[in-house]
Formats: sequence, C-alpha cells, structure tokens
Amino acid sequence: MRKTIDNPIPLLLMASLILAGPGALQAADATLEYRGQSSNTTVEIQGTSTFHDWEMKGTSIGGILDFPAGTVFDLSQAALPGLKDGSLPASGTAIIPVRAMHSQVAVMPGVMDGVMQDAMKETNFPRIVYHVTELKLKTPHAAGQPFAFDATGDLAIAGITNKVAFPVTIEPMDKGKIVVRGTASLKMTEYKVPPPAPNIAGLGIMKCGDDIKVLFNWTLMQVPPKQP
Amino acid sequence: MKKKKNLSEVNRRDFLKNTSVAAFMAMMGGVELTARGAAQTPQPAGAEAPLTQIPSLPAVNYGVIGAGVWGRKIITTLTLLKNDSQFKNTEVVAVCDHYAGWLNRAGDLAPKAERFDDYKKLLAKPEVQAVVVATPTHQHRDIVLEALQAGKHVYCETPLAHTIADAKDIARAAQKAFKQVFQAGLQDRSHPHRHFLWPFIRSGAMGRNVLVRAQWHKKGLWTRNGNTPQRTAELNWRLDKALSTGLMGEACIQRLDGVTWFLGGPKLGGRPSFVTGFSSRILDNAGPDVPDTVQCVFEFPEGANSGVHFLCDATLCNSFDSEYEMYYGTDSAILMQPGDERRESKAWMFKEDDAPLLGWEVYARKDTFGAETGVSLVANASKQTALTAQGAAAPPAIEPIQYSLQSFTANAGAIAAAAKDYEELFGEADTPDYRAKLAEARKFIITQFPAAGWEEGLEATVLAIKANEAALLKQRLELKNEFFEL
Repeated sequence: MRKTIDNPIPLLLMASLILAGPGALQAADATLEYRGQSSNTTVEIQGTSTFHDWEMKGTSIGGILDFPAGTVFDLSQAALPGLKDGSLPASGTAIIPVRAMHSQVAVMPGVMDGVMQDAMKETNFPRIVYHVTELKLKTPHAAGQPFAFDATGDLAIAGITNKVAFPVTIEPMDKGKIVVRGTASLKMTEYKVPPPAPNIAGLGIMKCGDDIKVLFNWTLMQVPPKQP
Repeated sequence: MKKKKNLSEVNRRDFLKNTSVAAFMAMMGGVELTARGAAQTPQPAGAEAPLTQIPSLPAVNYGVIGAGVWGRKIITTLTLLKNDSQFKNTEVVAVCDHYAGWLNRAGDLAPKAERFDDYKKLLAKPEVQAVVVATPTHQHRDIVLEALQAGKHVYCETPLAHTIADAKDIARAAQKAFKQVFQAGLQDRSHPHRHFLWPFIRSGAMGRNVLVRAQWHKKGLWTRNGNTPQRTAELNWRLDKALSTGLMGEACIQRLDGVTWFLGGPKLGGRPSFVTGFSSRILDNAGPDVPDTVQCVFEFPEGANSGVHFLCDATLCNSFDSEYEMYYGTDSAILMQPGDERRESKAWMFKEDDAPLLGWEVYARKDTFGAETGVSLVANASKQTALTAQGAAAPPAIEPIQYSLQSFTANAGAIAAAAKDYEELFGEADTPDYRAKLAEARKFIITQFPAAGWEEGLEATVLAIKANEAALLKQRLELKNEFFEL
C-alpha cells in the first residue's frame, strides 16, 4: 500500500542531510535559506476543453529554497556570485496543496474542483511537490531585470514523479524577500492524470485537453541565520 | 436497468443552478427551478440523466451532546449522510447524555460511538472534531464555550441561549475561534429551496411588500413525565419561565429567522424595530406558567419595509395548517411550506389580476387551493417534468436538518483541511495571513454549502427572546440595535 506523506518538508530536509553525508551540517550552515510565504503568492493552472478554456487558482505555495552562502540577488550587477559552471547550486522544495486550488468557473466551481481532485487522486496524494535540482543562469543578465534561469527538477503529481525543466526568474524585493516567477507547460497524461471529461447532461461531455500550463509567483523570505 | 453512476457525470440542473434567476429562466424557458437537493432524489425512467458525483469531502468525526428526541434525530441524520458519496467519511464517534436511558438509545443508533455521561469527557477526546449541541437551550452556553475552547467545530441548536447575555457570549466565542466553524441550527439557511426563493423574492416578483404572516400550529403537550421527580423536573425545562424561550423561541425561531432574512435582514431593512406580543393559556398545554398560544406582531423601521407588519403565531391547542410563511406583495402573494420528514419544502405564487406577466409562469405547474390557483415555485414542478414523472413514485423527502448538517460537515471539513494545509506549510502562528487564508477558504465553501453562522444565530435568538418577553408581558417592546450587537 502506498504511504501518503502529508508533510514532506521535514522528511526532505532529513533526506538531504543524509544524502549529503558527514559534511551536511557544515554545508547546511553555509546556505541561505528562503522560506515560502503565505502572502503575495499565486499559482494558476490553465487548460482547455471542448467547451471553453478553464483555469484553477490558488494562493498557497509552501516550502524552502537554499542558496549558497554569499548569494546576493543584486539586480544592478551583471553577475551573480556563487555560480558554478553557470549554475546556481540551489536546492529546495515547493509544495502546493491540491485542495487549495480552486476552479474559476462562475457556476458550480466546487463540482469542477471535485472533478480535478478526483483526477489528481487527491485523497492519496494531497500535495503537488516540486524539488529543484539545478538553476542555470541565463546570460548575459541585463542590469535592472530579474535574474533569469532555466530550472531543472523533479515534479510529483498524483504519485508520479517526472523530471521537468522550465524557465524561472528571481527578483529581490524589500525586507529580505524574493519572488520566483515561472511558467511550466505539462501534459496531464505524463502524470497518469486522465484529462477530466465530466458529462454535463444535456450539454454533453466537457472534454479537457491534455496540455496544461502552470504559472506561479512565489514569494519567499530569507530566514535569519542562526547565531552560533 | 438501473443506470450506473458516473463519477464525472454532472447534472445539467446542478451545472446551471447557481446562475442568476434571470439567466436561468432565459436558458430554461421558464421550465423548472431547481436546487441542490433535486440531484439527490431518484429520477423516473426516461428522465434526464441523474446525479452529480463529487469526490468525498474531508472526514469529520462527530460528537453529539444531548441525546433527547432531537439529539437522536441528529444522530440518525448524520448516519444517513454516509449514503451520499460526498459525505461518506462522516462518523458519529461519541455521544453524550447524563441520563443513561437516552444515552443507551443514542448509542444503539451509532454503534461505533463511545458513550459519555459528561460532556467534558467527550470534549477531551481529540478524535472528536465537531460537536452538535442538542441539549436544553439554557445549557448551550457553557458547552459551546468549552467546545470552542477545546478546538471543536460547533453546531449549536437554536435558540442559541435563553438570555441575550448568554447568546452574546456564544457569539463572541464563535467570532474569536477563527480556525473553527460555528453553525447555528437555523436549517432554512442551508436549504436549497430557500436559496432558490430568496433571489426570486428580492428581485421584486411580489411587487412591494405589504405584510407577512407565519405560523406554527401543533396540538400537543409540552409536559413530560420522568421516572423520578428530579428527572421530571429536568425534562420540563420548557415549562419554566426562567429557562424557557416559550413558543416564540422553541417553536417559531425558524420562522422568525426565515421571514426576517427574506425581508432583507439587518442590512436591508429586515430587522424589526418593535415587537408587540399577546399570549394566553387556553388548555395549559405548556404548563401553568408558560402560554400555550402566542401571537406577536413585528414592525419594521423606515426603509424597504416601511409599514410592513409581520404576524407570527403559535399554538399547542390546534394543528390546522401546521407551519407556513405567507408573504403578501402588491403584485402577488407567496406561500412557503417548510419541509419535514413527510414532504419537501414547497412554495406557490398567487398573482394579482393586475400583476405584470413574468413569462415563465406560463410553463410552470399550477396547483389549486380552494378558489385560488398557485404557480408552483418548487423544484421539479414544471409541466414537462410533471408529465415525465407520471406514475413514478414520489422521491423521499430530504429533511431540512439533513441539508443543515451537510453544510456543517462540508464547512467543518474544508476549514479543517485548509487549516492543516496552512499550518504544515507556514506554521501555526495566528497571523493576519493565516486568518485571511481561512477566510478565503470559508468564503469559497460557504457559497456551495450555505449555513447560518453566529451572526444569524444571534439575530434570531434575540428576536425570539424579545418576542417571548413581549408575549408574556402583553406589551410592545423596542428592539434596540444594542441587543444584537457584540
């Protein structure tokens, strides 16, 4: 029987430490940790159907991003300190509760939410989890613009994990905050999610398309380093 | 052959039900006016494909406090909810009553439930997520406050309390408990038929409001006999003037809430400004101290209901016509019958000869009442549906309490899930962000599963308490705004 992990953050942190070996604690000290904020965050899933385009929106992305110590997102600078072979050795996890995504249809949004939750096997897999493994900086960086990266990582939806790559930007804000923005194009069937096709009696089958687009604005705040 | 239910099958009526009345009528050509419950009733052969199947809502484990007749009805209804795929995770895990006889009967209805003779022990059980408080009215306050303090979602029967001070204590505690759902037991607030009728009436289909009448007529005795003098005294709390809210509170509160809601509520001129009461003891069916027949007249302030009077009467000495509300307007009158275990909630419109033609009523089913003809305002009542349904057995009535508990279950489950999500991702601290996220989740779920909160509960409780007071004093009393404000 598949076990559901309700809160993967502590487990992921523990796994990272184990995999990183004896130097892990030291390495952990040498990172800048940013933690997802509950405000000023949006996530949107856009799709198509035989009736009309549809979208689901949410405002919750939790999780953490770790950057090497000394990383400074200064838009006025052409370079970004801490790069290794053009990539920022970042790691972290973004988590979206499936139930926090809501259909934007004017009529019976709850039914459409239910249809999507059913398709995504929400009961067994209540979270969409993305684990970033690489952030490759797009060069040259234009001063004043957000830093642009090609992000690579593992995306787990409905119990299926796939490697995905999509562009993101990171923009520093005030008070130690950053905003990560991005758009990922996915296919539902790649995650064994059957495109929903609710039969609306009298109106016919509303068949959703396989392709979806996920757009997000994720606000994170730097966690103050612990005093020794 | 019975048609197999498809998990992703959505009934067109459900798909359209939340559209505006105008859009709905335009699309349906004035056919039928339907609501949430309609999709749950069996459909006759050849009728439109049935059923919306939505994945089940989060599990909610209940404790029911108070195992009298109504408490046991609630337990039965909660167990019935499991027949609906959306609510299949609902469980009654605890029941409580200090009287062993009732506790045993309640336990028999919910075999998996742990039995408690003290509500404090029930509240200490972490697996109890939500409680229904169905004790005598004067006992609500302490139980509700402790339940909210213990982190439980609370469904409190109405009247919330027998005094305005106690009702305000409950309302304040419910307002403060932002992570929990508090629902007042005003069943019509969750009834899909009422939610269909409300915009219909507010859209002006009756013309200008003239007057309103409501009644609760049930011949019977309030006196109860226990096996000891102490038990008899406990059972007869409604006969004690100090504890009882009388017929206005214990029998008419649903009507007081329904009518004032439909007249606009406190924000749209539907809060009465005065109440005048009359009362008598015709047969002493409510004992020697509490009247068994009561009439109250509510007056409304200047505004949308200027000059409108609402007459509400109740008696234990006659049963004719049972319960109803009658709204009289310059263009038409509307009769509403609340549902019960025998019948669905129904309504009819009686048009004046000089009223403008609305159009859709041509297609609607008509029913005759003596010399009057009423246009049916109930779900599945078009001529077309009536023809299709010929020969089919009448579907079982869904009682208002079932809708009410559905809403509570859905709301409690959704808010608990949203709180769990938030705390796992962002921590448990009480921050404005946390409150905003839960308020957002609450707003979303309440539009699908409407329910009375502490505001509506307090409003109706104050009306009932003051109406009872006016009836006992046989006086005209002012309904000051301060009575309703925290």
